[in-house]
Parts: sequence; C-alpha cells; structure tokens
Amino acid sequence: MNIKKFISTPLKVMAPLATAAVMATSPVMADETCMSPYMVKIVGQEDFVYVWTLGVEGLGDGQDKMVTVDVNPKSDHYGKVIHTESVGGRNEAHHSGFTDDRKYLWAGGLDSNKIFIFDVHTDPAKATLVKTIDDFVSKSGGVVGPHTTYALPGRMIITGLSNNQDHGGRTALVEYTNHGEYIGTYWMPTDDNLQGAVKSGQFADGYGYDVRALPSKNVMLTSSFTGWSNYMMDFGAMLGDAEAMKRFGNTMVIWDLHTRKAKQVLDVPGAPLEVRCAWKPENQYCFSTTALTSQIVLLHDSDNDGTWTAENVSDIGVPSDIPLPVDISIQYDDALLWVNTFMDGKTRAFDITDPHNPTQVYEKQIGNQVNMVSSSWDGTRLYYTTSLLGNWDKKGDDNDQFIKLYHWDGKEMTEQFSIDFQAEKLGRAHQMRFGAYSLYGKQAKVEKDENAKVAMNK
Amino acid sequence: MRTRILISLAFVATTSLFASYANADNHGADIVIRVGPGDSKVGYDTKDYKTDSRAISARVGEQTDLLKFVKNPPLGLPPIPQPERNPITDEKIQLGKKLFFDRRLSLNDTFSCAMCHIPEQGFTSHEVVKAVGVEGRSGRRNSPTIYNVAYLTRLFHDGRESTLENQVWSPLLDHREMAMTSIGHVLGKINSLKEYEGEFERAFDGRPVDIETLGQALASYQRVLVSGNSPFDRWYYAKEEKAISVQAKNGFKLFMGKAHCATCHVVREDHALFTDNAMHNTGIGYERSMGKEPEAVRMPIAPGIFAMVKQSHLDELGHTGPIGDLGFYEVTQDPDDRWKYRTPSLRNVALTAPYMHDGSILTLEGVVEFYNKGGIPNVTQSPLIRPLDLTSEEMNNLVAFLETLTGDNVVELISDAYSTPVGDTVVE
Repeated sequence: MNIKKFISTPLKVMAPLATAAVMATSPVMADETCMSPYMVKIVGQEDFVYVWTLGVEGLGDGQDKMVTVDVNPKSDHYGKVIHTESVGGRNEAHHSGFTDDRKYLWAGGLDSNKIFIFDVHTDPAKATLVKTIDDFVSKSGGVVGPHTTYALPGRMIITGLSNNQDHGGRTALVEYTNHGEYIGTYWMPTDDNLQGAVKSGQFADGYGYDVRALPSKNVMLTSSFTGWSNYMMDFGAMLGDAEAMKRFGNTMVIWDLHTRKAKQVLDVPGAPLEVRCAWKPENQYCFSTTALTSQIVLLHDSDNDGTWTAENVSDIGVPSDIPLPVDISIQYDDALLWVNTFMDGKTRAFDITDPHNPTQVYEKQIGNQVNMVSSSWDGTRLYYTTSLLGNWDKKGDDNDQFIKLYHWDGKEMTEQFSIDFQAEKLGRAHQMRFGAYSLYGKQAKVEKDENAKVAMNK
Repeated sequence: MRTRILISLAFVATTSLFASYANADNHGADIVIRVGPGDSKVGYDTKDYKTDSRAISARVGEQTDLLKFVKNPPLGLPPIPQPERNPITDEKIQLGKKLFFDRRLSLNDTFSCAMCHIPEQGFTSHEVVKAVGVEGRSGRRNSPTIYNVAYLTRLFHDGRESTLENQVWSPLLDHREMAMTSIGHVLGKINSLKEYEGEFERAFDGRPVDIETLGQALASYQRVLVSGNSPFDRWYYAKEEKAISVQAKNGFKLFMGKAHCATCHVVREDHALFTDNAMHNTGIGYERSMGKEPEAVRMPIAPGIFAMVKQSHLDELGHTGPIGDLGFYEVTQDPDDRWKYRTPSLRNVALTAPYMHDGSILTLEGVVEFYNKGGIPNVTQSPLIRPLDLTSEEMNNLVAFLETLTGDNVVELISDAYSTPVGDTVVE
C-alpha cells in the first residue's frame, strides 16, 4: 500500500474515507440478515459484494470466479466490477460463507467438491484466493457437493448434497477449523442409522442442503435437496425424468448445536431449501421454503420442550404452477420474509409478524429468472442475482445473468444499478456476500487511475 | 460371523436366491447388503410412502474370488470367452476393479465407471432414466447393465463396439461421460497416481499402462461380472422342480411360445444368454425421433403429490436443439438400420430398471405391455414384433418368469464391489 499516494489524494475523493472512518468507530451490528449470528458484522453501508460466479464454456475465460463489485455509492466505481479472481475449471460454484472472524470467504464447488478460500481482509476490494481444499471427499469419508459454508465459533460447518458412492442425495455435515483442517463428518439420519435422532414422521431420507444455527435454543437446523445426478442434470431433462423426480429431500433435521448430534427428523415434503432463523431473542423460530411444493414452512418449538414442529404456513404463488421458490431472506426485525421464485423471476415480500400466518404484501418482477437475494441489515438495499445451477438456468433469451441492486422504502423497490454478467463475459451470477473496509479497521483509498480501491490500515 | 442379507423392496426376488451367499463361510463383522438403491423410493407415488434409507457408511463388503467364475461359470452360462491376447488373471481383475471405481479417471476427478454402473442398482442406475456425465452433461441413453457383458458380441446400445478392451475408451473420452481429453491424458493421469505404481507392471508381465493394458485391465473386471444359477437355471437346467413357481413356469411357456420373446432373447439347451446379440427396432427410438411430445407430463414432486409439468417448461429449461438418436444407423449409415438397438440380455432384468435403450419404461409390467401391443409400428420396425394378444394373467405370468432370472451371486458381486475403495483426490 502506498501511503504517500494516499496522503496526496485530492480532498474531493477523500469524502468516502471520512464515512469509512466513522463506520469503523461505530458499534458493530449484524450484517445481511442470513449470516451466522457468530459472525463479525458490518455496520451501515457495505463497500463490496462478492459474487461467486459460475464459468460458462465459451464465455470469457470459462472459469468459475469470485467477482468483486463496488457497491458504495460514494465510490467512483459504484456499480462496477472492480476485481475478478478465477479459480480454474467449472466447479459448479454455488454458495459461500465467511469465517466467524470474517477474514476469509469459503466458496464451494458442488461438482468438483473443491472449497476455495478467499482472503477478504488484506484488501477487501480484491477477494483473493489463498487456499484450495481439494480433498474434501476423501477427508470427509465420501461426502460430495459442499454447499453451505457456515460459521460457528472458530469452525466452519459445511453441508454436503451428495456422496461418492451413488451420486444420490444421502450426505452429511462436515466440520473444518477456520484454518482449513478437517475435524469430523456427521451423517444425516437414515432409517437404519438415525444417529440417535427421533424420526417424527414417515421420512428419514438422509439428504442435506442448508444449515442454520439458533444458539438460544442450542440447535442447528438442516434442510434437504437432491443428489449430484439431479443438481448437475439438465433441468428440462430432469423435470421429464420420472425416476429423478423421486430423488428429492423431504426432511429437515434438528441438531444439538454444541454436540453436533442429530436430535429429530421432521417431515417437510417437497425439497426444503434455505433456512433462515428469526433475529429477535423472543422469536425462537425459523423458516424454510419448499422448492417443489411451494410452501413457506415455519419451524418452531412452541412448547419449549425440545420437540420441533414443521408447519406449512403459506403458499408461495400458485403451487400447481411450480414457481420454484429458491432463495429467501428474513428482515432484521422479523417483519418481512423475501422469497424469490426462479421460474417467474419474481421476488415476493411476506409479512411474517404473525409467523403462523404469513401474508404476501409485495411482488416485483426482477428478471426472466432470479435466484439469490441479499439484504443489507437495515433492509433498505436488496441485491439480486440470477443463476440457480449451471444446467438448471433457463436457456436462450430467458437466461438472464446479472446482479441488480434495488432500494426498498417499505412500499416500493427502485433499481439502482445492474451489471450484465454475460455482457461482461463473467458467467452466471450466483451467491452474494458483503464486504466492508470498516470490518478490518481499514479505510478506502480511491484513485482514479486504478481499477480498484486500495485498503490501508488505520 | 456371517453376512446378513437385506433384500430391497424395490425388487421381487426369491429368498432362496440369496440364501447360498448368506450361508457362506464369511469372516469379520456382519455385513448387510441391500440389492437396490440405498434410499428406496418404492411407494413414492402414495402419501403412505415411508423412507427405507441406508447409511452410506453401511455400504461395506467383502472381497470375493472373482476368478472362480472363470473356472466354474454359473449354471446356465457358457464358459467366459477370453481373448487370446488377454487371458483373465486375478491381478488384472483386481487392477481393473480399482480403475472401475476410480473417480479420478475423469476430466475433473468426479466420475468413475461406477457412477453410472452402480453395483447395488444392477450395475446400472435406477435413479435417472438417462445417464448423466461429467459436469452434468446429458447422455442420450440409459446406462446399460454390465452383468454378463462377457458374452456380448456387440457393445453399447447401438452395437458400435466389438470388444470390451476397445469399449472402455469410449466412456473415458466421451465429452458427455468422463470427458478425458485424450488417450495420453488418461495414461498420464494414471501414471501420476501413486496407487497405481507398479500395478500394471505386476499384472502385465512388466508392461506399463498403455492404450492396450488399460483396456485389458478394465475388460478383465467386467468380464467376470457374470451372473447365473438363477431360480430359472436351477429349474430348467438342474431340473429342480420347486426352484420356480407354477406361475413362472407358465410364463416361461409363453416366453418360448405365444409371446415369441425367445426369438430374440435366446434360450439354448445347455445355456441361455437371453440375447441374440442382434440389432432390432422395437419402435421406441422411432417414437422419440418422430413422435409428438405430450403437452404436459405428470411428475411426482413429493410423496403422493404430483404436478403436470408442461412441455413448454421442459423446452424452456432444457438444452437448446434436439438431441437425436438414430441407433445402429449412426454406425452403418444405412437407412434400414434407423432406430435399431442391441437386444439386451434378460438375466438379472428384475434388477436393472428402468428399461429400454432410453429408460423410458420404468417397470417390467410396462415392458410386457409394450410388447403385447406390438411395440410402435414404423418403417424399419422388426417384423418379429407384433401384437401378442396376451391376457392380463398371461402378462403377469411373463413378469413372474422374468423375475426368476436373477443370479444367485448378485449379493456377492455387490459385496465385492463395496470392498473396493473409491478413488478420490488425496492430499498428503
């Protein structure tokens, strides 16, 4: 870092620095609302969005990459891609998550089973690949498809989607240290080995997808999707494949957070995907949505006796049309749940102040397809991306690939910027994570003759 | 200790089928082998469905002496053909088996032969109708079983290959399957894996891995996956009257007579391969190429819950452009060979759903109904296929017979497969 250059920077471009300095001294609060509660948090305006992007054969360099987008409106590069970090190959880039200290971003490849670890603290403007875990399958004892990379204190808990034996949906949770050292594998309960859990319904399929922790109840909750053969398959072919369509998860599992032991298997038919837990201490419940049956599902332990219930509380769109709910985001005050539906490209806001009776209060078309939604903590900024899976995205003109930012005023959304990932020859835009200088006691340096901001230590 | 057997509800199989292995002199801890997918979906079309899933960690087995099948072929099967240049040895079998389960023999280290030819799923895949390859690339056809491939003179559904030694290179190099980029790429990768140090030299009298020895090793493993001594064999060839039911015997009579099945699925006096190794057009391929798609298809979206999926959705979400399949014509370029496919053996047919070259028929009952209707008439359809006028009872009898064709060593072969480590990337 060139401090001299920084000092000589004209005053007019110093304005963002003042803002950043104020941010750095503010008390920390939670960042985007789907993150681990154990995580170091951003206050106020995020500076960057890291977009884990799938390479497309024949487009640009064809590789998966971490794309850093400048999202600070006071920056000269606001709404622009300022850095890309290609990782080699098409790994079926999917989800990513920070370590609890928020210094590193772990991003999984559902196909190659590699986990790419990016340094996001040395220079938050350049998510930089520093380590690749490429023996996840052999280390874990056969788990395939590292999906959610979720921060626990000093640890990363990773959900698998499949296995190396039949590429079906039976899988496990896998735990690593923040330094990338394998700790253990915790298999999802199956009928012949419930792993000590109680099977509360008809199903114990052993499938996995997402994980979230609710520390106040000492539980983790996992959901269930499908195995490699399905999530890698051409979506049109799969929807017409009567055998493949039986291979979706119908369960959620309640785990003891501290011991990592499975406690209860719940029937949640129709592929429950994302899990989001309420933030207020008095709201000890979580939500999921089912991809195939289009339901909002409330997970709760209302009697406070350790026995959880999965309750379908609302339709999403017209379920018989299979709108395919994908990502969801809960608002910081537990008042709204944003639900994206891939097929119609819409985002919907549900009032969840009564969690047992969600009511849709808003709906907007985001694109021809939409998958992920990430919200700023205060709920005023909502970012959207489009890609679901490499072979599931729509084909032809409907294959939108973008990141869009909307401002939400509580009644209406207004688009702020959009970056076309195909025109930029980047690939398929998938999961977003936020970055900020303020997390690391750094400030931004802006130089018009450089493509990227440079961080400096305070 | 003994090996306990868990029979999957996915298949109708006689208890006696598995008894011989269950009583075998096994050592070590109890092993439970399931024949069928580890997460059974039997009954998924009803709301009464209950999971019957097995832990991945329970997928363990014992190595067996596969060479014994060369010395003593199972009842009902002829001697295993051995090429002059590639006599079967135990060293080659073991090496071929290791290669067969090694996921690193693919472009991105994720795909072994066994990912499509899954041992407990009939050495095919029950979980998808058509094969899915590296990066999820769409195959055009159902993964064929490799049980008894030793006896096939034409390989692949379209019969384009003639020897197992040559056949192995197609999936390794096919862009839609394992997608290795060249022969040298494959050989170089194997040479870089320390697990194979000296292995080829030991199996092939000092020869390293090369284009020939790799094919010979994989062929040697596949060649010993023979399966006979089925209840049918014990009844028909060993004259055990009670080996199969009266219903199955009636089904066999139909098979040989009124239903004309044996014309193509050949049964001889001293053995039965249940195939003529010839190419025939049943009409399935023609229908896929020339028929009109339905406006919507009914698909399960959860146990007992279905949705009508519109064809327009399938088109919107599927690969652009048609993926044609003209069968044997693609090999010969002779219009008379359009939509012809190799007659599959019927041995272990109860274990190898879904059926037909494209996996489009999910059950044996459906297959019998298809032939009873005379297949799908078209310009190059085999004249051997015509309406059969079978009653429901007769069709049930045929299915009962087909279910007697499961070999008695199926569990043993699965267990042996499970004993083989899956090859994945290891970092020292």
